[in-house]
This record gives sequence, C-alpha cells and structure tokens, in this order.
Amino acid sequence: MTKMTRRGALAAGALAGIVPLARPAIAQARYPTRPVQFLVPWGAGGGTDATARIVASLLEQELGQPFNVVNRTGGSGVVGHSAIASAAPDGYTIGIITVEICMMHWQGLTELTRSSFTPLALMNEDPPGVQVSSSSPHKDIKSLAEAIKASPPGKFKASGTGQGGIWHLGLAGWLGAMGLKADHVRWVPSNGAAPAMQDLAAGGIDMVTCSVPEARAIIEAGRAKSLAIMAPERNPQFPDVPTLKESIGVDYSVGAWRGIGGPLKMPQEIASTLTAALQKVWDSKEFKDFMNARGFGMVWADADGYAKHMEESDAKLGAAMKAAGLTKA
Amino acid sequence: MSAVFDAFSMVASFEVLVAILISAVYGMVIGALPGLTATMAIALLVPVTFYLSPIAAVATIITSSAMAIFSGDIPGCLMRIPGTPASAAYTDESYALTRKGQAELALGASLWFSALGGIAGTVALMILAPALAEMALSFSTFEYFWLSFLGLMCATLVARSSPIKAIAAALLGLLVACVGIENPGGVPRFTFGLTDLLGGIEPLPALVGVFAVSEIMRAMINAPPPPIPERKLGSILGGQWALTRRYPKQMWRGNIIGVLIGALPGAGADMAAWVAYATSKRFSKEPEKFGTGHPEGLVESGAANNSALAGGWVPALLFGIPGDTITAIAIGVLYMKGLNPGPTLFTEKASSMYALYIVFLLANVLMIPLGILMIRVSKQVLRAPRSVAMPLILLLCAVGAFAIGNNPFAIVLVAVFGVIGFMMERNGYPVAALVLGIVMGTMVEQNFVTSLIKSDGDLLPFFERPVSSVLATMTIAALLWPAIVWLLRRLRPAEAAR
Amino acid sequence: MHLSDRVTGLFLVLLGALAFWGGSRLPAVPGQDIGPASFPMMIGAGLVLCGGLIALGIGRSFEVEDPPEATAVPGLAGRLGRMGWLAAFLPPALLIFYVVAAESLGFLLTAAVVLLVCARALGASWRLTIALTLIGPFGVHLAFSELLRVPLPDGLLAAPW
Repeated sequence: MTKMTRRGALAAGALAGIVPLARPAIAQARYPTRPVQFLVPWGAGGGTDATARIVASLLEQELGQPFNVVNRTGGSGVVGHSAIASAAPDGYTIGIITVEICMMHWQGLTELTRSSFTPLALMNEDPPGVQVSSSSPHKDIKSLAEAIKASPPGKFKASGTGQGGIWHLGLAGWLGAMGLKADHVRWVPSNGAAPAMQDLAAGGIDMVTCSVPEARAIIEAGRAKSLAIMAPERNPQFPDVPTLKESIGVDYSVGAWRGIGGPLKMPQEIASTLTAALQKVWDSKEFKDFMNARGFGMVWADADGYAKHMEESDAKLGAAMKAAGLTKA
Repeated sequence: MSAVFDAFSMVASFEVLVAILISAVYGMVIGALPGLTATMAIALLVPVTFYLSPIAAVATIITSSAMAIFSGDIPGCLMRIPGTPASAAYTDESYALTRKGQAELALGASLWFSALGGIAGTVALMILAPALAEMALSFSTFEYFWLSFLGLMCATLVARSSPIKAIAAALLGLLVACVGIENPGGVPRFTFGLTDLLGGIEPLPALVGVFAVSEIMRAMINAPPPPIPERKLGSILGGQWALTRRYPKQMWRGNIIGVLIGALPGAGADMAAWVAYATSKRFSKEPEKFGTGHPEGLVESGAANNSALAGGWVPALLFGIPGDTITAIAIGVLYMKGLNPGPTLFTEKASSMYALYIVFLLANVLMIPLGILMIRVSKQVLRAPRSVAMPLILLLCAVGAFAIGNNPFAIVLVAVFGVIGFMMERNGYPVAALVLGIVMGTMVEQNFVTSLIKSDGDLLPFFERPVSSVLATMTIAALLWPAIVWLLRRLRPAEAAR
Repeated sequence: MHLSDRVTGLFLVLLGALAFWGGSRLPAVPGQDIGPASFPMMIGAGLVLCGGLIALGIGRSFEVEDPPEATAVPGLAGRLGRMGWLAAFLPPALLIFYVVAAESLGFLLTAAVVLLVCARALGASWRLTIALTLIGPFGVHLAFSELLRVPLPDGLLAAPW
C-alpha cells in the first residue's frame, strides 16, 4: 500500500468510478446472474401451477439460472398478483398472470389491473366449452341453443365455477351474443369445474361451461359430451368439438388465458431477454407435449401482443360483468 | 393378467421403491411434528415429483399422505396437538389414555387400525371402484347438504360436556367459515377490507392455532404435568390383537364409513373420522366411557380415516374429481405425468393402475414397522424438557403455517386462533367442534344455496330424492336425539317420585 | 382466564347479534334467493340462542369438572405473581413479532429471539436456552429452506448454505 503513487491511486479511483457504471451493462448482458423467483397466485397442483412449473423448468434450461416456483395463494388470486406487481422491478421476480386480473378490479376487489404489470408473453388460452350430460336430449349445440331461447328465463341451469368466475362470464357473454339476457340461464355456482361436472353427471344441472380439458375425464368416461367451444377455431386436441361460430353462427369467443409478467418498470433489456426465452419455451417440444397431454390451448403472443390481448380481454369481460350485474356499481 | 405382472415390475424398480421409502419417512415425520400437517407435506412434495417418473411421482404422494394421516395421531395423543383435522375428532380420547399411562395402547390402536383400514380401503378401491363411482356420481347438492349437515351434527353427539357449548362452538366455526369471498354469492363477507381475508380462513392455520398454540399458552401458566409412568414399552402391537377380537364390528363399520364417505368427492378423511367416532359412541355398549380414555372410539375412527383416503381415490382416478385437497394435488400430479384420470387409466394404462394399487398396499403394510419406529422415537422425544420442546413447536407452527401458501398472514391467523382456542378451552367450549365447523361450513352453505337455486326455491327436493330422504331422516334423528334423552331424563325422576 | 358462564354466554349473544347485523347488511345477489346474508344471519341467531341458554345455566348438568391446577409455576408466570395469567399471551405475541420482524431481521435472528424468549418464559435454564437458541434456528432453516425449498427471508443474517 505504501508503494502506491498518487497517480496510481487516482487511476485506481477513476477505474473504481467507471466500473460501477459499466457493471449494469455487463450484468444485463449476462442476465440472469442469480436464481429468479417465479410467483404463482394459485395453489399447488392446479392447472396454473402445473403450467407455471413446466415454463419455469424450461426457462431454467434456456437461461441457465434456477427459476424457483413459489405459490403465493390467498384472496382468490389477489395476494399472488399483488406480490408480482409490488416486487422489485429488477427482473428477479416474475410470475404467471391469469385472466382473473381483468376481472378482479371490476368487482372492486382490488386496485390492481393489467396495467400494474410488465407483460412478457402470452402462453395459453382455454375457451369455455358447452358440456351436457350424455343423457341429455340435446345432441348438438343448435338444439340446445334453440331450447334455451324457447325456455322461460331461469329454467335452464348451468354451472362450472363460482359466481362471477370466468366460465360464468363466458356463459353470460354467449347469451348476450344470442340476444338473450345475461341471466336467462340460471347460474349455479360451484367450487370449480370438477364438482360442476359431477353434478352434471348426477343430473342436477343442465349444462356446464367450463373448459374442455377440465371436463375431459368425465367426457371420456362417457358421462358427458362437449357440444361446442366459444373460440375462433377448433382445438386440435379435441377435433370433434365445433366452435359456436361454425355451428350456430354466433361469433362469440372468450378465454381463460395465462401469461407471464413482471412488475412495472422492468428494464427493457431484461424484459426482451425473457420474452425471447419464453418464445423458445413455447416452441419447445417439452412444452408442446405437456400442453397437449393436458389438452390446454396453446396461444402465443409477445409482450406487445399480450398487452393488447389483455386490453381486449379486460373490455370484453367488463362488458359481460356489467350485463350480469356483477360489477361494483 | 399381463398388466398385473407389468405392474409388479413397475413397482419393483429401484426408483419407485426408494421413492416410497423416502416419502414414507417424510410423511411420517411431517405428520408427527406438531404445527405441521399432512396437506402441507403433500403440497411441498409437488416440486419434487416434477423430476420423478410417473409411478414414482404418484407413489410419493400416496405413501406420504397415508403415513401423515396416521402420524398426525401421534402428537394428538401425546401432547393433545393433532396433526390433521381428522385426528382432532379423537384427540381428547387418546390424550386421556396417555394420561392414564396407556399411550402405547392408544397409539398402537391408531396404527394397527389405520393400517388395516388403509388395506381394506384399497381392496374396496380395487374391487368396488366402478360401483363406488356410480354412487359418487349420483350424489347431487341435495344429498351433499344433508351429509355435511350430518357431519356437523357429530360435534354435538361427541361432546363430552355441555352439548349447548358444543353447538355454540360449532356455530362459531360456521361463522368463521363465512369470512371471505368463497360463498355462493361471490360477495366478500366480513373481510374488513383486508385482501388476505378475501380467500377466507383456511382450516389448517385455525387447527394449528386452536390446538398447538393454545397448548403452548397453557404451558406458560400451568405447572408441568407429572411425568407419565415410565413403563417398559412392551410390544406396541401386543394389545391390538385383543382389541381386534373385542371390537370387530366397530372396525368394519369404521372401514365401511371411511370408504363410503371418502368416495364422495368433497368429503374426506376429516368427515369420516368424525362420523365414525360419533357412530362408535352412539352405538356403543359403554358410551359413558367415551372421553375418559376408552379405545373403542379409536378403533373405529382410526380405521375410518385411512380407509377414507383410499376411497377418496375412486372419484380422483375415475373422473379426475378430487375428494379433498390432497387428492386435488395428486390429480394435478397425475396429469403432469401423463396418467390422465379417466377410463384410459383403466384400459390403455391398466398396468399403471395396478401399479398404483400395489403402491397403496405396500404403503399401508410399510406403515406398521415405520409407525412402530416413529412411536418409539416420539415417546423418547417426549422426555425432553417441556421448556425446550414448546418453543420449538411454536417456531414450527410459524414456519409450517407460512409454508402452505408462503403468506405471513397465516401466522397471524395462527396467533389469533391460539387466543380463541385458549379462551374457549378455559371455559368449557370444545375446540374440536370449532374446527369441525370451519371445515364443514362452506360445504353446508354451498350445497344449501345451490340446491335452492336448482330447485327454484322449492324445499321439497331436499326430502323427495331417495338418498336425500334417507340422509335427512338420519340427520334429523341425530339432531333430536339429545333433546329426547334430556326430556326422558327430566321425566324419569318425576316417575320415580310417584 | 376462567370466566363465568354468564359472561361467556353474554359474549356469545353479543357476537351473534353482531353477526346477524353484519350479515343483514350484505347485498343480495341476482339469481340467488338465499343470498350471502342468510347464513351469517342464521348463525347469528343460533349464537344468540345458545349464548342465552348458556348464560342462563341450562345444560350445565352435563358438564364435567376439570381437576384444579397445581400452584407452583416456573418461569415467567411465577415471576408475575397475580398477573401470571398474562404470561399465557406470550406465545401469540411472539408469533406476531415473527410476522413483523422476519422480513427485516431475517429468519435466523427472529427465530432465535422467539426461541430464547419462549424458553426462558417457560423456566428453562440458561444453558438449555443458549443451546436451543443456537441450534434450533439453523435446524429448522435447514429442514425447510433446503430440503423443502420454502423461501425463508434472509434479512440481516443469511444462512451459510
């Protein structure tokens, strides 16, 4: 230390000043440099959790650092989504964002909206299907739609999720597109798709508008059948199920989507890196195999596309919720 | 037949056997640690299953849940801190046996009849799955309403002291279950603007608080209990054969109740244990002994909660409908591993199905030696000074509650319920009834409201549908029974005076 | 705190009334005749009824008397004398402390504080307490953070692994 000349010290000081400035650029070029937390607002073992886990493990392969899935449950999704939105925007906390973010603020449950996040990529979307019991007199969607139109309001009963849930809104929107009131078919709330399908098989309700993958096991057991899906195109995993548009000419579609996002004001380079990596994940064989095995719909959009998609979803769902009387006045 | 041979070879693989062994120990240990629960144990396994082959992955879940449901009885018996809501049904009874110095009898009964119950349940699963599934599918919300109401009534049937306080405790539990947005209306209730309360109050933090934390609170102000007489630990299984010969009817009734209730989606080991304990007391020849340290109730409910586990897999495997949180997680894992629930599991993937059955049997057989080991270890741990054990349990309560959803709010709930449980116990209100109310509350309301929506407000279908009418009669009988007994008691002295 | 039945009964009546009132203020839901208000109101009514019965002493004949507790209590409760019952509220207080402090202090330090205070309050010797405080937090952290991958906060003192 005593040998150090003044010049040397100055030079060292200058270097010491420059290096921190240079570090961000170097660090971002190597992002990620440490494990990333991947938050899931829903419980372990569910569809969203499973999707998140496969994405996280593939991202780890892509980017070389562990992406640790952490379930942050509570508040019907609000807790987890809040956790993602309020994390430090350094790229080391991201999460899976689900369609409920476009519904919760309409109900007055939270101040969070889609604009509270940096969208990174849209990965999946599942439209609601229209399922009936295998012993139903309606063999196709046309027959069912006509019966609904001819029936007095409240006679038909449908289920699939809780009051105001995405499948409820799907039904409400479909009824609206057919010129009927949103509650023309009475909604029977259930604790998820599985109990609703069970009630359908038990003869307690007339139809279930959950997604087809959720109904798959009971359909394959021959207790129910799917008459149509509310999507622009058929799902290749269920090629025999027509869309509403092709069978009765009602051009209505909606979906429960899942995408990846992070807190607002994430650095652009990091966001782009993630989006690019996510695209590779989406194109990968493992992801395709997983999604096809579950029957989940694969839909891709990059950051801008995702933002636009969320905007449309928000507007569409808001309208459906207003029509169904579910918004906070 | 070849499928069965394939199944054996699948299970006999090194990976699967090691997975079974490790997850058995894991489930045993987690279930036995007060403050940690079986559901938490399974939820934490999910990331691990990601890296395992399909059969190994499902084997870990089957094995650890079977072990944890049994080992949840251990802290309940030794410390009055049940590891699962199912164990809460008979914690007081087994703890009374411990205080009499007969802990091995209680734990041995739990172990033996749990293992037998699990095996009986698996056999029922193998042979009767289609029939059970038919029954499960014919249950609509009307039937569920009566069933859950019946389950709730068990709180009063089992009450040791004032039945009115038991009803009050159960009502409190129902009130707690009202909190949140998880009601048929989707309207936030009693959330006081707190986001964390939107999802309602989970039964697990309440259970941990009401039993474990309140026990620690009691330890702060009570002198340490006199040391339990140190008896030479004879064979833990020694008395079990005698018990089996003495109570065969109870054992079979427990197995049947367990399988039937377990097979109904939404009703699981928790309800089965309560209903079994209540029927045991109701049909016993010595009902006054219940609660003082009498093994009869343990036989029936120990059998019921493990056979319910196996029964719960019927709707899960056949239709992908979860029977409870654990099977919900298990179904997720099945899907992830390409073993989609449904008929394909029985046809294309039949060998995998049989492999799962074999794992079930293996797990329940393995339960016995591991269980004995666990009981011996636990008894040793009991020798540790209370002033060291209790702080550790407190810490475990905090971390365990946090670990379920990584939400610190759960710890706040544990603390609050600790205070509630403490106050209740001091004043003679049974906390087990509170927990039952919380567990059953949503089910009762959900089914009542949805049934009314379907019947357009008409109450008749509640009584007209065949299964409903049977359940309704049972429930109303259970409801009126204490009142009738009370009336008879009042009338009899008058008669004696005549 | 052993309160008389009248007090607990009246408390239940009050709680039931509050539940009833709170429930009645809930909005109705379109399409559901029995709305979210019904259950809280029914439960509230039930609580009022039960509370009333308890306060009036009905049903007491079924009760089993618990044996009286011994008087010698080690630790904090003994030290507080007549206010000894306050010691019972230490465990929940420690839990709240954990919630508040864990993020900033980190798991290891917070756990150490919880263990130390609780053990001393239960009358553990200094030797035992120190041993527990040094080993406990690391053991629990190892089990949960490493084996079970539960994210425990690092705070001021991160675990060495």
